[in-house]
Amino acid sequence: MRVAGTRTYAAPREQVWQVLNDPAEMAGLMPGVESFEIEDETHWKAKVKVPLGLGSMRMSINFEQTESQPPEHARLHAKGNGVGAIMSMETAFHLSEEAGGTGMQWEADVRIFGQVASMGQRVIQPIVNQQVQNVLNAIDERVSATQAEGGEAAPETGSSAAEEGVHPGSPEAYSKEPEGPTQSA
Amino acid sequence: MSSTTTAPERVEAPQKGFAGQSIPRKEDRRLVQGQGVYADDVRRHEMGYVHFVRSPYAHAAITSIDVSKAAALEGVYGTLIGEEVAALTDPFFQLSVPPGSEIKDYALAVGKVRFVGDTVAAVVARTRELARDAAELVEVEYEPLPVVIDPQRALDDGAAVLHEDAGSNLVWEGTFDWGDFDAALAEADRVVRIDRLHFDRFSSTPLETSGAVVEYDRGTGQWTLHANNQFPGFAIIMMGPALRAGMDKLRFVSQDIGGGFGNKICTHPQLVALCLLARKLNRPVQWTEWRTDQHTGNSHGNERVFLDVEVPVKADGTMLGFRCKAIDDAGAYSRYEPLGCIIWAQVTPGLYRWRNVHIDFTQVVTNKSPCGPNRGYSRMQHLWFTERLIDIVAHELELDPVEIRKRNYIRAEEMPYETPNGCVYDSGDYARCLDIALGLVGYDGLEERRKEAESRGKLLGVGIGSTLDSGTNNFGQSQLLNPDLQFSGNNEVATVKLDIFGEVVVTLGTTPQGQSHETTASQVVADLLGVTPDDVQVRAGHDSYWNTHAGFSGTYASQFAVTGLGAVKGATEMLADQIRRLAAVILGADGPEGIELDGGFAKRVDNPEAALPFMACGAIINANNAGLPPELDDVTLNCRYVYRPPFQVPDTERKFGNLTLTYAMQIHVCVLEVDPETGVYEILDYAAVDDCGRRIHPQIVEGQVHGATAHGLGAAMFESFPYDEEGTPLAANFYEYHVPHALDMPPLKTDAIESPSPFTSLGTKGMGEGGGASIHAVCAALQDALRAAGNAIVTDSHNPYHRVWELLENPEASRALVRVEAS
Repeated sequence: MRVAGTRTYAAPREQVWQVLNDPAEMAGLMPGVESFEIEDETHWKAKVKVPLGLGSMRMSINFEQTESQPPEHARLHAKGNGVGAIMSMETAFHLSEEAGGTGMQWEADVRIFGQVASMGQRVIQPIVNQQVQNVLNAIDERVSATQAEGGEAAPETGSSAAEEGVHPGSPEAYSKEPEGPTQSA
Repeated sequence: MSSTTTAPERVEAPQKGFAGQSIPRKEDRRLVQGQGVYADDVRRHEMGYVHFVRSPYAHAAITSIDVSKAAALEGVYGTLIGEEVAALTDPFFQLSVPPGSEIKDYALAVGKVRFVGDTVAAVVARTRELARDAAELVEVEYEPLPVVIDPQRALDDGAAVLHEDAGSNLVWEGTFDWGDFDAALAEADRVVRIDRLHFDRFSSTPLETSGAVVEYDRGTGQWTLHANNQFPGFAIIMMGPALRAGMDKLRFVSQDIGGGFGNKICTHPQLVALCLLARKLNRPVQWTEWRTDQHTGNSHGNERVFLDVEVPVKADGTMLGFRCKAIDDAGAYSRYEPLGCIIWAQVTPGLYRWRNVHIDFTQVVTNKSPCGPNRGYSRMQHLWFTERLIDIVAHELELDPVEIRKRNYIRAEEMPYETPNGCVYDSGDYARCLDIALGLVGYDGLEERRKEAESRGKLLGVGIGSTLDSGTNNFGQSQLLNPDLQFSGNNEVATVKLDIFGEVVVTLGTTPQGQSHETTASQVVADLLGVTPDDVQVRAGHDSYWNTHAGFSGTYASQFAVTGLGAVKGATEMLADQIRRLAAVILGADGPEGIELDGGFAKRVDNPEAALPFMACGAIINANNAGLPPELDDVTLNCRYVYRPPFQVPDTERKFGNLTLTYAMQIHVCVLEVDPETGVYEILDYAAVDDCGRRIHPQIVEGQVHGATAHGLGAAMFESFPYDEEGTPLAANFYEYHVPHALDMPPLKTDAIESPSPFTSLGTKGMGEGGGASIHAVCAALQDALRAAGNAIVTDSHNPYHRVWELLENPEASRALVRVEAS
């Protein structure tokens, strides 16, 4: 499943890049992360609890940063293992300077294999949507916090409607917004 | 006529002439009391439980397997991986010619996986749960590969190749050409062309999944498999060479089996893995397949696409044959395939007098669960196709579906009828059965019901499904695929003996899965020996060590009533003759013909007072045999008979010959009502008329008719095994794969006629598979209903509500696939 979108931050590109490239900080902000470990500059590990229909699934995920061109572009590969599921994700973002801020184009290709993929087809797509929104929210929060620390204004363009606590299957989770993800199967 | 809606009929045992009566079933006492013994009931001291690690990928290279964490867990007894299997066994024998013959298939995946559910490793532990948990600790690294899902794309340039040894995804291809199709085109007034018809992938879901307890005796080098495999003859042929063991080292034992339907034939890969584990760990091992594994990793029914179909038709509705291309999707491995490429030819023209047939047949592998026999195996796909042809032709030429059938049906007076490819339909009266079925649903009043439905905004449709259930294979048909194969004919065995206390004991070579072999065998024996079925002890189950095992022993392909009962009859006649010879000597009669068997006695015909009880006969031969005259030297009262049907080896050049001995027939009529807003439909009325020759036990036959009807309705309406574009199966459990419940069944009206087979010793025909008539009938009824709402053509065998909605929304898409041209 491919998801992609754009986002604008009212902060300088270097500042956004700093947030996006601080995995430990990011992990702390993302929901569902139970532990996080940095192996070296380009390899990280996380244990994540993913909501799945009526229950949840624990996954061990290995991240590898496969490309990095500060402050413009980075690419990440993630592979996760859980009981009855394997997750594989390729994700990348491009940062561009725009008037008064930074534009971000991002994309992710998420693949799930195993029994969970067979049984959970109906819930996987909204879950991926929700997780993506959670990541974007985390970035927003972190950028605005960094801005606040620097005594500057909060971001001017908004975050996501898929707030924490919204059930991934609920209609709110699907609600379109200008900068939300677009999908193609 | 009988009906499921009436109270159960009271069954009373007659005093004589037991064959033909619905006597109480012998099996029921133990089964209704929960005293059956299934594979999962078998327990052995210190046995270990096996869990298979299965592939989450449809196609991937295995880069590493690490079992160390699982093996280190307390209570884990051991593991097995593909490299060990490749070192210890040979690949399973392949039936095809190149390139399919080059496929290397082992008990576990070696080097790569080819479908989701492919077995990668096995873990054995103290408990089932521990084995399953430990299996999660097996670390397998995969390198995913591109997948092949669509059989029509499997041979494209650049398509990923599943089996590098074969070098192609082709399993088998060949042309079947009988009659003169070009002449038929010239003779026809019209030609109906259909671009594509599709028979969907589904399977059977026996209540009992596959399973086994396997023991290895290091002293004798022998394995004992308490397995629910339904065709031990085939399993032993596959497993012996793979395990590099003599066939006698594989002892198959089963008692009760909870449904088979064909998908308990190809369990030999798992059984070989169990054999290796039992030997490696020096401990009995137990495996019961999980339901999800049954859905994703057991054999599925063949998916088939029919392309570029041409049907020459005369102005009066006489159809002269057909030409098409067929592509069969075998899934990832050919484990019983490519036999599906020939088995359809048992019923080449369906029930019709079509003489000119041309099929270019191709079978390919795809990254899906392997296919294999499934109730109606390969003929069901083909008979659905012939029924679609008749209904699409009728629809397009505005001919009556009843009249066009009667015009094209093979007639009762033409029986026995030789088909264009040399099969001989033994007996039957199709038109008469159709009339009976139409009467059951009140066909003459249906136009009024249609109007009444219209007044409520509903679409009423009626459809006919006429089908054949060909039984008792001539395994020589395998030579039409591969002339080097050394299989032909068929056989089954039974022993019947008289024991010391006069007990009649019958042993069968079959592996019943609910078909009541103990009951029907006792009926046949009772009539021949002049006793009652209660006097006949039929051993439950099968044991290949009982000397009641022949090369093709098992229960499959609609044959017990012919081969199994044929063997029982043969052995019983031998025993009856021996009893008469013995009694003639003891009672001083002129010869065996001077003795009759009646009421458990051997009596002199000329003086019934001179009678020897069976108990005395059994005691004399078995325990009191001093001083018997030499002419009784060969009398053992323990008689073994192997029934061999009268077959010839088919002509491999012309692909011509008799491929099956009997042709049971079913005609179904379905009346349904469609909601044009939603595509939801409901079956209002349903009739099934069966002709399987002489019925030994009509109630058991009726049960098979009900089961086959339900099975077909499931396939028509609910049951499908779809895959996504990554090769992930989307119906991995009963949540997604809906099997009809009792409440999903329509009111069912049944009737039967009996056209005894002239070719079988009892006049019987096998009939357990049913031929998928309900799939054909539902498709026909839907097409009839949709006539008034866009006139869509039903081109798929599987029509869930959303598919019907598509046909209603966009009938042009299906209509574009069909054309009528002047010849």
